[in-house]
Amino acid sequence: MDKEYIRMEHICKRYDKTPVLKDLNAVLQKGEILGFLGPSGAGKTTTIKILTGQLKPTSGEAYVLGIHVKNIDETIYEQIGIVTDQSGIYERMTVYENMKYFARILKADGKRIDELLERVGLEKHKKKPAGKLSKGQAQRLVLARAVLHKPRVLFLDEPTSGLDPSTALDIHRLLMEMKEEGMAIFLTTHNMEEAEKLCDHVALLNDGEIVEYGTPRELCLRYNKEKCYKVLLENGEEHVLKQTAEDIERLSGWLLGNQAAAVHSCEPTLENVFLTVTGRELR
Amino acid sequence: MKAIHGNKLAAVTEMKLKALFSKNFIIMPVFAIGLTFVMKLVYGTVLEGEAGIFGKAYALAYGALMNICMTGVYCVSAALAEEKEKHTLRVLMTSSVNGTEFFLGSLIPVILMVEAVNALLVPLAGVTMDAAGWAIYLGISLLAAIAGAVIGMIFGIFAKNQVTASTVTTPIIMVLMMVPMFSRLNEMLGTITDFLFTGIMMHTVENIVDGSRNPVSVSSLVILVGEILLAMGIFQVVYRKNGYDSE
Repeated sequence: MDKEYIRMEHICKRYDKTPVLKDLNAVLQKGEILGFLGPSGAGKTTTIKILTGQLKPTSGEAYVLGIHVKNIDETIYEQIGIVTDQSGIYERMTVYENMKYFARILKADGKRIDELLERVGLEKHKKKPAGKLSKGQAQRLVLARAVLHKPRVLFLDEPTSGLDPSTALDIHRLLMEMKEEGMAIFLTTHNMEEAEKLCDHVALLNDGEIVEYGTPRELCLRYNKEKCYKVLLENGEEHVLKQTAEDIERLSGWLLGNQAAAVHSCEPTLENVFLTVTGRELR
Repeated sequence: MKAIHGNKLAAVTEMKLKALFSKNFIIMPVFAIGLTFVMKLVYGTVLEGEAGIFGKAYALAYGALMNICMTGVYCVSAALAEEKEKHTLRVLMTSSVNGTEFFLGSLIPVILMVEAVNALLVPLAGVTMDAAGWAIYLGISLLAAIAGAVIGMIFGIFAKNQVTASTVTTPIIMVLMMVPMFSRLNEMLGTITDFLFTGIMMHTVENIVDGSRNPVSVSSLVILVGEILLAMGIFQVVYRKNGYDSE
């Protein structure tokens, strides 16, 4: 139980009479990344707001670090970090000052500022006004600030949305490191590649409802109904083989004759799974 | 009331103080200093002798009024609006800073700035005061600054950005500044002035310069403190309903 950092049981949220979240159930353990995957408007941000005490659920129970979300007050923020694409920075202050004031607020060790700035690649920009940073740099600053106090749970709402691939990769690397250190990460994204790469478990969210839940591999294999394999031969020919006796024999022949340059299984991606389950695309 | 943590209050106060010295906000006390200087020059040219002393008193009173309204009311309101506009308010509030710490951290630098500038205006206007005069002047100035800053905070709750802050505070600033300034021209304005903290500030300056034994009456003090309490009460109601963001 002490490793269970987040638990959601039958969480519902309605605005007036419009349901926004319907019966959400999920668990996030220490050192895990849980991804909430869904298109814009699916309810991802609302879920984060409920879990961080910024919004009250209409019904259902949710616990963060063992505390019921209805009892959350500002002291919980000493143990959690939040990054959203709406997390602002103090533009007139330098990068270092942005970190310094939050370190003081969160009673974080001042030495950690330089350490984190180096980890997110902002060490050489530390004296620069934060308003002069590029979007990617600013997002890295927001992330560094959110983990200054070594939170036990980190909430990330579309952390790499609109970032260039190189910055996104840096952020992924940092998240994996923090996960290894035992941090639990609740991630929302509509980027299925990001979810597949980072998440231990994913919940596919559509119109406020979890339509599938499991590890990325489980979900992909669950919907791998028509097994097939893509084969690239040494002579450049490409073949798609099905799970039939005839195709298996062809594949065996190519493998035995050392003619196959590459073989790939064609299980669906999370995006395909989402499309199959909901009939709509993630983006 | 929530517990106040020294580290958080100090950090928010320092952040707000830094913001106050940025060009968006520092222009307001500078305006007040400029107005006092210009008024002193104008009155110094037009009035001589005893009249010249009152000219200086007017220069000081108008400068102090402007400082209380523009720095006290507008800067608090606009600084809160800026936090919302730049999405830093939510970041602060989800970094374990509570409402009381944010409130005090936002008000303390502004009140100190108003007080420091109002003190500077005295020699700038060419007004001389004895120790008692100084104590009364700074005391009334402090109470007026508190009232103005709390009013600024109330209006800031309804402003989603700095432009809106300017729009929503302009009418109240006009009332708080213009009514005392024109109180001698109209009896009704004169009566209203007696009930405005800015009016009490202006009368106090005039009375100190005039050498009055009691520059500020007990009834004026009661009104001043009452207005602070009223402003705090309104703030509590508005804050409980909206938090710092009415959106």
